[in-house]
Amino acid sequence: MFTNIQIDIDSLPKVESIDFVSVKRSYFYILLFNYGISYLTLISVLIITNFLIEDSGLNFSITLVISLLSFALLIHLGILKLGFKNRKYALREKDIVFSKGYLQVTTTILPFNRVQHVEISRSLLERKFNLSTLKIYTAGDSGSDLSIGGLSQNDAEAINVYLTTLLNGSV
Amino acid sequence: MEAYKFEKPSLQSAKGIAVIFVENLYKVIKNILPLFLVVAIGIFKNDHFFLEYQATIIIVLIFVFISVVITALLKYYTFKFHIDNNHFILNKGIFRKEVISIQKSKIQNIHIKQNFVQQILNVVALNIETAGDDTTEIEIKAISKPMALVLKEVLLINDKYEVDEATENDNLYFKISLKQLILEGVSENHLTSVVLVLALLSGIYDTLRDFIKFTHLGSFNLSASGLFESILFNIFLFVLLLFLGFLYSLLKIFILNFNLKVVNTKAGLEISKGLLNKVSLHVQKNKIQNIRLRTNRLKKYFSLYSLQFSQIMESKKQKEYMSIIALDDLQAHNLIDKFYKGFSENSQIHKPEKYFMRVLAIQYAIPLLLLNIPLYFVSSYLILLNIPLLTLLIWHINQSYKKNYFSIDENYFISGSGNIIDTITDYLELKSIQSVEFKQTIFQKKRHLASVVVYTAANHITIPHIKVAMAQPIVNYLLFKTEVGDKNWM
Repeated sequence: MFTNIQIDIDSLPKVESIDFVSVKRSYFYILLFNYGISYLTLISVLIITNFLIEDSGLNFSITLVISLLSFALLIHLGILKLGFKNRKYALREKDIVFSKGYLQVTTTILPFNRVQHVEISRSLLERKFNLSTLKIYTAGDSGSDLSIGGLSQNDAEAINVYLTTLLNGSV
Repeated sequence: MEAYKFEKPSLQSAKGIAVIFVENLYKVIKNILPLFLVVAIGIFKNDHFFLEYQATIIIVLIFVFISVVITALLKYYTFKFHIDNNHFILNKGIFRKEVISIQKSKIQNIHIKQNFVQQILNVVALNIETAGDDTTEIEIKAISKPMALVLKEVLLINDKYEVDEATENDNLYFKISLKQLILEGVSENHLTSVVLVLALLSGIYDTLRDFIKFTHLGSFNLSASGLFESILFNIFLFVLLLFLGFLYSLLKIFILNFNLKVVNTKAGLEISKGLLNKVSLHVQKNKIQNIRLRTNRLKKYFSLYSLQFSQIMESKKQKEYMSIIALDDLQAHNLIDKFYKGFSENSQIHKPEKYFMRVLAIQYAIPLLLLNIPLYFVSSYLILLNIPLLTLLIWHINQSYKKNYFSIDENYFISGSGNIIDTITDYLELKSIQSVEFKQTIFQKKRHLASVVVYTAANHITIPHIKVAMAQPIVNYLLFKTEVGDKNWM
């Protein structure tokens, strides 16, 4: 393939042979919490509606929806658990690589010379576990921004400083 | 030409009051339309309604009118702009004062627009777009056209942008004829507008039924016993739906692209068009992220191709404006060549694996099966509907696969896609790539397949279902091309 290109494709740095670093294990609890909360909110809204419209006992269709939701939650968490080992990242000389997912594993590679700015965010729960989320923004809103959750605070800071210096240096 | 001074803060043209007034009035009417409908229905049902609430209705209307006038005046007098030291500075706000300052070099694009009111008053609106988010977009609602042109030139001076009224006609590249415009409208894919009208009609289905029942319109007898009339009513609705859908997309194309003109400039193209909303905007060579060429079966027959240019951070509305329709094959390719010099469509073409068709087939099989359940219960003859549906589906899947391809050369990435009706070709320069994604589902993994998504600042293009052994070198190559490039790509 690529017959009219002088560059030897084989000599290019390869994405497939990167040594990835996994995100911190405790990040799983945060994911668990976040997903759990959103499902539980939905379920409790349903229960409240049920008691608003029905005086005694659970409505059949609402019970059905709730059990379906609980089942979906279990499946969702199962997939999350299975896919957790795929949550890993790598820093290379010229780009940052992040992969995640189970049913579909997505590996995003973001070149440093396209980065607009970098941000660290820490939610209450993340602070408890001493974790940080690193957000890397590119231009445009086509969905090419990167958000890496479950970094230790030190790692996130280190990457942030590294990227910021790089960004300022190349301007 | 330099008779205009922009150093001192200045107001818009006094006609701006009228422009702002009409705009606000429109907004208010749009917001209170549901309320208005309630009143209208009240009058319709009860003849005394209007008399009973006459005073209240009139007072409310007067109050609304006066408050709209006052806001328009206040908005006009608090809106001041000037240029100071390479910055465009805008002061606005009635209660919350805002000062917006934009560096000239950060301005992405400037559009000149003219809506219906502005056309009557002979003023134009000037839109300044920056690379930031939507909220920083600035619109001057009413200035004279010559002043707008000078301001545009002054603001874009960094890009050595020039518009010369005298040479505009010499550089005219393309002008749409009425015949082309109508052909474009007729050959449009009406399916989306039919769906839109369907959503609208289904919302008012019951009301419409009641209305027809109430007014004895036509000779419909929609009583509970009239099964035949009910079927007739639904057939009537279906025909109405098709007709309205057709009319909607025809009118949309006509109004949006009326008097479309394309003028060659040094830095790109100047596109102007529109019937009710006249727009004039500039496609800049160095800001293009992606060019999309599209046609469909019918359009191809009439030799109608459209080009859509994507720039950074544009709203959906802007995207509609950034397109040229009714070009012939040669004109379209010449334009692509103007922006993407030296691209060749002869470089080696690659196709996705046949697995592509299987995924599509599975995606369509599920709704088809679901459709069969009610069909089965209504009448077993209806199952026969599956024959044309399946034929159509197989054809559709086959065409989607046939039209899907990609090619990558030293500077350009070309991707083809389409379906039973449309044919789409996307062109992008490798240096405008923002990031690359390598995707693999567990089903793809078993077959050693993967998909690659290429992101630019404006959109993304997917290469679906290719061999991993091919996807990996592509990712590596695209990254290499992006990372050796300089930062100054915007």
